Amino acid sequence: MSAAVATAATESGPAQGGPRGRARSWPTGLRRGAVHASVFAALMLTWWGVTAASLIDPLFLPGPAAVWQAFVDANTCHPVNETSSRIVCGAQNYFLWEHLLASLQRIAIGVSAAVAFGVLLGFLMGTMRGFGMVLEPYLNFLRALPPLGYIGLLIVWFGIGDVSKIWLLFLAAFPPITMATIAGVRGIHASRIHAVESLGASRWQVLVHVVFPSTLPGVISGVRIAVGFAWTTVVAAELNNGIPGIGGLAYVAGTQLQTPLVIACIIVIGLAAIALDSALKLLGAVAVPWYGKAKA
Amino acid sequence: MTLASPRIVRTARAIARPAERNAMTFVDSPPAATADTPPITLAGVTKDFVTDSGDTVHAVAQVDLAIEPGEFVCIVGPSGCGKSTLMDMVAGFLPPTGGTVSVGERVVTAPGQDRGVVFQQPNLFPWMSVRHNVELGPRLRGVRARERRELAERFLTLVGLEQFMERRPYELSGGMQQRCQIARVLANDPEVILMDEPFGALDALTRERLQLELLEIWRQKRKTVIFITHSVDEAIFLGTRVLVMSARPGRVILDQPVHLAGPEAGSELRSLPEFVALRDKVSAAIYAAQNVHGATPVDH
Ligand SMILES: Nc1ncnc2c1ncn2[C@@H]1O[C@H](COP(=O)(O)OP(=O)(O)O)[C@@H](O)[C@H]1O
Ligand SMILES: [Mg+2]
Repeated sequence: MSAAVATAATESGPAQGGPRGRARSWPTGLRRGAVHASVFAALMLTWWGVTAASLIDPLFLPGPAAVWQAFVDANTCHPVNETSSRIVCGAQNYFLWEHLLASLQRIAIGVSAAVAFGVLLGFLMGTMRGFGMVLEPYLNFLRALPPLGYIGLLIVWFGIGDVSKIWLLFLAAFPPITMATIAGVRGIHASRIHAVESLGASRWQVLVHVVFPSTLPGVISGVRIAVGFAWTTVVAAELNNGIPGIGGLAYVAGTQLQTPLVIACIIVIGLAAIALDSALKLLGAVAVPWYGKAKA
Repeated sequence: MTLASPRIVRTARAIARPAERNAMTFVDSPPAATADTPPITLAGVTKDFVTDSGDTVHAVAQVDLAIEPGEFVCIVGPSGCGKSTLMDMVAGFLPPTGGTVSVGERVVTAPGQDRGVVFQQPNLFPWMSVRHNVELGPRLRGVRARERRELAERFLTLVGLEQFMERRPYELSGGMQQRCQIARVLANDPEVILMDEPFGALDALTRERLQLELLEIWRQKRKTVIFITHSVDEAIFLGTRVLVMSARPGRVILDQPVHLAGPEAGSELRSLPEFVALRDKVSAAIYAAQNVHGATPVDH
């Protein structure tokens, strides 16, 4: 580790020394950023070139400018078309950011419920052997199902509105959280438990002071998996009555042949997923600073 | 200053501040039992394991042992002879297959605050600072924040970690982590301290320094200590009594009192003829035990 630190220190140090050292002593972050920027620029340029040269029908692949325009239109009030003075706001009666927010809201509710329930269930299954053994096959069964396979049943039970979608997200999200919690609980080294028991801890105190914090890194990575899974699920679930919703908007725009808006939605969906995961990763780093540093 | 429990008041008084500590070290009084240290009794203790493949491993066979209050008992023996198993039964981590372990009048059935355990690995909790690790035992008993902070500061000073109290354990070296673990056990004021090869993973210099520190602490506190080691040298240097266990199934084949430890003797003790004679005697017992059972040689 100290070697890595030393390398980072020399690499990110100010550029000094002879002309040969100049390219080398670029800060690592900057160099990596430059690589990403050039790949991205090349990609955009190809996209622009292909569409500007009319190699592809814009109905199938519109150019970057059209996509950007669709994105701007979906977030503002604008005339229906050049000749009309009728003003519409956003797309499908909502601004794009409202669609995004609606999807995020479903995720927030569904995943929050999944975290509360999934962690609790994971603790019970991890600490009580018999209970865990009895329930594990059912948990595995549920986890193996593609969530869209049972959305029909949920619609019959809870209607076509938000309730069935939130149930779907809950059912999709809690099994990975429960599995991660169980793995975390079972992976705790016995001597850690022994250490706190010898200090006089009761069963409950062992849970609070050792089992729970030991499991936290696993739980956080379980939540990250669950959120990623929930995100793909919500976008697909919004195919049915999904307005407002970013997945619903992408689908409806597609049926109306508004390809630029579809692509704008796809980009927003992807970026939102990455932002969400990065936020959780950061949260994890703040909540469990010891992760990966401490030995058994 | 008000302290929560009478036990803690005693601890607080027993632990001298660093300035007074040196003075105490040179007061030559033999180890005497304190009133709150009960004897430990093992009666016909046996432990068999059933392995995953269905075989039975006889780890410990018929151990009868009486450990008096204030003794520093070192247990040596070839590796795999059942030393850790024996200690785990005293700690309450493992139930014996036969026989009983008692501390005072109570039969041991579970781990407890009365038996502090120092493991070979530091076993500190990385989500707590060094100080919070040491405070944990008192905290579990509901000692108030200010008092347990004082306790932690006192014991961390005792083991020389006062500069590192707010660090996380993984920011300390192995030897410092082991010191912290010892402070955590001492701050919890156990009646008996069980140590399973606590210095086994340390380099020779750190090990020797910690041996001296441990002796000094033991002289101040007069706690009963059971100390497992595979080093004959360490056992004779530290112990008032050395037990040699045979190869598996482990039983006590030599029970050797040691009356060398004088407070004035530092590491020079090792070159005294009495020390060398005892070391030869104990080593011979271990080798004899191995040859009888054809077990693996003792590791040094
Ligand atoms: N849980 C277990 N299951 C099966 N065998 C075990 C178990 N724990 C220890 N043993 C065996 O018991 C013997 C004694 O182990 P241990 O007490 O750890 O030895 P020591 O500490 O003296 O090196 C060893 O042969 C070991 O393989
Ligand atoms: Mg051992």
